[in-house]
Amino acid sequence: MSAIDITKMKILYSQIKQLVPQLKANSREIGAALTMTGFMMDSLKKVNFKGRPDYLISFEVRQNRPDCLSVIGLAKEVAAYYGLKFMLPAVAVRYPKTGQLNIGVEAKKYVQRAFAVEIKELKNRQSPAWLKEFLSFYNINSINLLVDLSNYAMIFTGYPSHLLDKEKVTGRFFWALNNEFNEITTLDGSRIPLKKKEELLIRDEKNGLGLAGIVGGKIASLDLGTDSIIAEMAVYDRVIIRRNSRDLNVTTEASHRLGKDLDPNGLDFASQFLVSLILENCGGRMTAKPFSYYPKKYLAPKIKLNPALPSLYAGIEIPVAKTVKVLKNLNFKVSQSKNGLVVIPPENRMDVAIKEDVIEEVIRLVGYDKIPANQVPQLRIVDEITPKIIHLKEKIRDILSILGLDEILSWPLTKKEINLLVNYRNWENIATQNSVNEEYPDLRQSMATGLLFQLDEYLKKNVSHIRLFEIGKVFGKDKGRYSENESLGILIQSLGKSITELKQIIETLLRFLGFNDLRYRIVDTKPQLANPYSCWEIIIKNKAIGILYKLQPDYGKGNIYFAEMNLSELARLLESFHPNPVIELDKKLISLDANVELYEKEPLDEFLGEVKKKIGEKNIWAITVEDAFPLENNRIRYTIRISYQGLTDNEAKEKHLNAFGLERNISHNFAV
Amino acid sequence: MVNLDPEALKKEAENEINQAANPFELGEIYRKYLGSKGVVRMILKEIGSLPNEERKKRGLLAKELQESIKKLIGNRENQLKVTAGDVAKKEEETLDFAIPKIGHLHPLTQTVRMLNQLFIEMGYSLVDGPEIETDEFCFRRLNVPLDHPARDMQDTIYIEEPDFLLRTQASSIEARILAAYQPPLKVVCAGRVYRNEKVNKSNHFIFHHYQGVVVLERISLKDLFGTFTYLFKKMYGPEVIVRYRNKYYPEVEPGVGPDMQCFNCQGKGCSLCKGVGWIEMAGAGIIHPNVLEMAGIDSQRWMGFAFGLGLDRWVMTKYKITDIRTLLGGSVGYRYYENENTL
Repeated sequence: MSAIDITKMKILYSQIKQLVPQLKANSREIGAALTMTGFMMDSLKKVNFKGRPDYLISFEVRQNRPDCLSVIGLAKEVAAYYGLKFMLPAVAVRYPKTGQLNIGVEAKKYVQRAFAVEIKELKNRQSPAWLKEFLSFYNINSINLLVDLSNYAMIFTGYPSHLLDKEKVTGRFFWALNNEFNEITTLDGSRIPLKKKEELLIRDEKNGLGLAGIVGGKIASLDLGTDSIIAEMAVYDRVIIRRNSRDLNVTTEASHRLGKDLDPNGLDFASQFLVSLILENCGGRMTAKPFSYYPKKYLAPKIKLNPALPSLYAGIEIPVAKTVKVLKNLNFKVSQSKNGLVVIPPENRMDVAIKEDVIEEVIRLVGYDKIPANQVPQLRIVDEITPKIIHLKEKIRDILSILGLDEILSWPLTKKEINLLVNYRNWENIATQNSVNEEYPDLRQSMATGLLFQLDEYLKKNVSHIRLFEIGKVFGKDKGRYSENESLGILIQSLGKSITELKQIIETLLRFLGFNDLRYRIVDTKPQLANPYSCWEIIIKNKAIGILYKLQPDYGKGNIYFAEMNLSELARLLESFHPNPVIELDKKLISLDANVELYEKEPLDEFLGEVKKKIGEKNIWAITVEDAFPLENNRIRYTIRISYQGLTDNEAKEKHLNAFGLERNISHNFAV
Repeated sequence: MVNLDPEALKKEAENEINQAANPFELGEIYRKYLGSKGVVRMILKEIGSLPNEERKKRGLLAKELQESIKKLIGNRENQLKVTAGDVAKKEEETLDFAIPKIGHLHPLTQTVRMLNQLFIEMGYSLVDGPEIETDEFCFRRLNVPLDHPARDMQDTIYIEEPDFLLRTQASSIEARILAAYQPPLKVVCAGRVYRNEKVNKSNHFIFHHYQGVVVLERISLKDLFGTFTYLFKKMYGPEVIVRYRNKYYPEVEPGVGPDMQCFNCQGKGCSLCKGVGWIEMAGAGIIHPNVLEMAGIDSQRWMGFAFGLGLDRWVMTKYKITDIRTLLGGSVGYRYYENENTL
């Protein structure tokens, strides 16, 4: 099966002229016109057909419009656009009125309409040059005349058909769900394994003869010796065709058309067209009255339309008369009622079901180019709903770039082995099921994956001064649920052996964002890539929001430091407090020192928290740790300087004494 | 007892004083030898416990040492003043060429910021949504039911077929916003999207969309066209030529395809525009009533428009990047000294 482009339909200019005889527009004008009305011209090629110069125009057909996957459908669009008459070719077939074919439908739920005819005493042969030439425009190889005529009819009418060699069919021919066959061999010899799971087949009493609506089988295929055939044409519930096509991974011109809403009523003309072509080109005669299955005739809906709506949607005045004219050009039936218009679309327009569908039809034919496009709309003011995390991310980008870091963006996909090296959270790896990139099928659990990849790329290219950051999503399965959060990763390559440089970047960033209550603690679960002696958890307001570590020395790229912060968590924390650093400075500041001895295990930030509480936030300008000196017995002596504001000397000294002197056995060393 | 060897102490102090690079270091040395807890003070403290004869001798030595160090520090202080002065003078005459490294934002970020700025000026909010999506929000709520032909347009990467997937379009954010907020609404968002497509110079399985949604009591295609023309003119200059044509998208009706006249050939047709003279820039339209109703919004009362732009090609054109893989593939580099003019 050749690869097909499922969104394109080609048409020869000469064919349009044949079907719309009054047409004056040239091929380029037609291309431009249909482009504006929903079928973008994809290409326009000069070709020769039947020895005459012609133009092959290719249009994009994105819509659920199988009618436009045909020459007839596109020519009707041209006629509607120019308001010209469309002339369907005259086809007259006299079917026998007696006899009965041994044909039936068992899968009634899935077959909307089926038609079949038996023709014998015909002569198959190689196709004439014009037919081969025509099919080549659509990248369809010529097989033999009968098969080629079937394909020609499909392109002309939009209805796929299937011809079977009657001599190769055993007993009854019918449509049924597969519960018997394990595989089917197609016309080109491909073997398709079947799953016996709602596969709609055409079959006989012995063999599966084809996947209904998708592809024919080899068993009853036609050859040059074929002299009697069954020709079938059917319209199905599109869902089963799409499912079978997808599940069995077979897409064909037929499945592409029948997987959409194809009008069952149109099968009348299409089947007559096919039979007349066969009889005309191959001779033969029909053996009995055709088989016909059409239990529930499709009726086009009646749609009520307020005639003011097209104007409202377009933003320009569209007179009712214009609306009616456009719809009639499209072969819609339009009548007046008390409440407006009643519109009945032509049966081949199964995509038109609600008033919005009709409104679009009117506006696209009136022309989008009639709508002014140069007025900036004065839309009403509405509530601002931007979440804080978006502002947070932007602020972080600004701060980090000012600090000399470059932003990179990387793939969020990686591989499990890399996730194992960098993950530090208690969540599971998430894998994609069908990623085109088999090498990287897993979603990253840490921003380190992309930053380390970038580091490698930069090192390969001799880039120096590597200081990077990335903001993006990290993913993991947490308690059975797929989870993702916004994350910031920072990676720096440093000449120094200490993590201090990265720590300073983080502290500047966080303090700039308003977070002062910042501390670090030893991480419980260290990433495998982290140096276990230099790996810390970043804590804000007693909440772990990230990690900071030096990479293992054997990572081998020098001194590499990495930090990651959960921005979703940080944004939540931001929402919980509203710091105000502004004060009225009406008195001089008073700085007083105190020496405090604590055990190494005693967290300084907790101690300072207590001091802050005792003094009261409103009188504190700054608290700084001026010195830390290790003592015997695992103790550390800190020199802490408090700068007081809004107090007299004596008031400050009294607060200072209270804060440091009364509740702990510590030494005091005041200095102003 | 401090072992007082005045000559050794004097030499040690002299070395340290000569190595002091600035007045602060000199101050430290002063405190070490002459401060209240300094070496000389300690010697003098211990003198009290010595016999008279010894006390006098050590006292003189300590005094002498104190004077010598004072003098050495004084001299060095004067020297440093001169040096500092010289440096200051030099700095007045020459520049330090070691320009500090500046940081850069990714071209995609720069472009998104520019777009955001335009829409913020028009009163839009910025929003975001998940990248792991459900079939419901990525398709069904956007008027693409299971087995609908429109599913052919997007080849999905699944996490757990058929329910969980990587979003194929930023319209999924639209579906989430419509479900979460009541109109009136004006929002834009930038988002990464995924499709199961082969990677080459011009296609990638990861790319970026910019999506906008407006829901008001009354809105029209004229409003949508006006918004787009304003956007194009801001991005590409006032001379840009834009056209609007009918285009099918399942989540909108009527659908719109805004095209920009090819800047390479001015509409004559070239390889860049595949000979048609126009470049497809976006997809848009009036929000389909099914989409509003599925979000619990009364489609008889409210109307909306939505649009989506592919960002990657805009960025590639703007920054003259020829291979789409560069954007996320580790090959974006930044000049050391230059930054984008963001003003």
